[in-house]
Amino acid sequence: MRFPRPTFLVFGVLGGVLLLSLVLPIVNLFVQADWAGWMKALQERGAGDALAVSALSSAIAVTIMTVLGVPLGYLLARGRFLFTQICIGLVFLPMVVPDLAGGILLLQTFGPHGTIGGPAAGVGFELTNNLAGIVLAQLFVSAPFVVVSALAAFAGVDPKLEMAAATLGDSQWHVFWRISVPLAWPGIAAGITLAWIRALGEFGATLIVAYNPHTLPVYMWVKFESDGLTGALPVAFLLVLLAGAAVVISTLLSRLSGYRDTAAVLGDTHGRPT
Amino acid sequence: MSPSMSRVADHGHGGTESARSARTALVMALVVASAVLAGCKKSSEDNTVSVLYAGSLATAMENGLGAAFTKDTGQAYKGEAQGSLGGARMIHDHLRTPDVFISADPTVNETVLMGDKNQNLVSWYATMASSQLVLAYNPKSQFADKFQAAAANTIPWYEVLQMPGVRFGRGDPTIDPKGYRTLFLFDLAGKHYQKPEIPRLLGDTMNPAQVFPEIVLLARVETGQFDAGIFYRHEVVAHHLPYVTLPPEINLGYPKFAEFYAQATYKLASGEQVKGAPIIFTITIPKTASHPAAAEAFVRFMLSSPKLLEGFGFGTIEHQVAGDRAQMPADLRRLAPETYRQ
Repeated sequence: MRFPRPTFLVFGVLGGVLLLSLVLPIVNLFVQADWAGWMKALQERGAGDALAVSALSSAIAVTIMTVLGVPLGYLLARGRFLFTQICIGLVFLPMVVPDLAGGILLLQTFGPHGTIGGPAAGVGFELTNNLAGIVLAQLFVSAPFVVVSALAAFAGVDPKLEMAAATLGDSQWHVFWRISVPLAWPGIAAGITLAWIRALGEFGATLIVAYNPHTLPVYMWVKFESDGLTGALPVAFLLVLLAGAAVVISTLLSRLSGYRDTAAVLGDTHGRPT
Repeated sequence: MSPSMSRVADHGHGGTESARSARTALVMALVVASAVLAGCKKSSEDNTVSVLYAGSLATAMENGLGAAFTKDTGQAYKGEAQGSLGGARMIHDHLRTPDVFISADPTVNETVLMGDKNQNLVSWYATMASSQLVLAYNPKSQFADKFQAAAANTIPWYEVLQMPGVRFGRGDPTIDPKGYRTLFLFDLAGKHYQKPEIPRLLGDTMNPAQVFPEIVLLARVETGQFDAGIFYRHEVVAHHLPYVTLPPEINLGYPKFAEFYAQATYKLASGEQVKGAPIIFTITIPKTASHPAAAEAFVRFMLSSPKLLEGFGFGTIEHQVAGDRAQMPADLRRLAPETYRQ
């Protein structure tokens, strides 16, 4: 009989305690479920509206952050500029600013008398307390995920592959679309999925920038304030389901490594123990 | 040394090594565990009073009243701000077990915490102080001079709100008593001034352009994104915002106008109807309090410091008790001789 390694035994106990404390609250949610009551609560008009608002706003936010964030990630991974390091630091900033503080900063910038919000309101565009405000809050907190994961994914693409394609006569655009993006895609896609779920769960900044229309997390808070646990739990359940789906998708995407296949074809074993 | 001997020696050496690191890991795990347990343990000697209070009190409690209590009694204080209704729900759902609960609305005690349906979590409460609604404005607003004129009574306050471009906000009636009290205010103003257009300034009761949670509304007016908002006077005193005082007939601050206030009504989501009533803060010790002696000391302090409360913008009232007076600590009963009736 083989005994497990002592390190594994000790780490297993330590890690197990952490894992348990992470998973227990969610298991508890399902154990104490009042399925019939929850289904009824989720059919309320407010819940449906909040789900629609959350789905639409997060879809818009994720599209914008992909279109703007992936190029930035590439630039930061490949470019050799004076300010590359500073830019990377700036991208991380919103990830460490508390949500509520982020909301107030956004309000001062995009509010009806804000630096940008003021002139925008002058020509008839309100940037807070509507869908635009929600999208802004979601962009602020979750776009860094896309940029950082794109940066890491592009940095993991062997520049030799890009150079080889270029010497074979591909244009720069061609190289980007046919070599860099496919190889980096699993990492980028995982980042986009995480950013999406972060956007969907965004609460603190959204509450300040756009209390109305309610997103799912704001709706959950309103229900918690007005009806207590019975009001909040069904919505919490829905958010946990969505988050769970995102984790599964993200894990699947990062496993589908396009890099491995392409690299094998080219006989490259860069960075891989053989 | 034979090969087998050497293997045994090696093995022995490795064994000591791994045993040592396993011991180190075990010790570390024990240290972490005991630190966590020490952090959770309720010390019987600890008599810090924990107070769950209505959100609008946050600045007054954290920047003054809590420290004043500690200075007066030598006992430590820790507070938590929640919406009155939300906080009561948390006690009801056993998510919080504060020693003292302060509500911005007497009815919250009755509906969420008292009686058999609420496991009699609260059996009595005392009225602590009154407050009134005011119209606070941002001193840098482009309409600031107009609000100032309204404060000096040279133009009516509602005419400033009617000016094109003025943005004002109010609380959410579904989660915050101040939200529906603001509806009462405008309703009563329409009657008081005989101008039915005043309540129409609000639009829909849930008008998304005006309705915000307490803390967000304050942030909006303080950052200048909104020109004005309806607040409790103690809130704007604590936040140093200029404000327009509204007539006693409509500001819900004077018990003698209770009958006039009662003409205004609002239907809660639960179907229950609430009537306009004087704004009264109540204080109680829930059954689940873990430091009853500290709780009693805190309630005593709050009921016997009217000057201090006035300084924070509250109005002083005769303390009254509702519910089962016999359940109230005898020492506190003396401070609130009257019986409260809604």
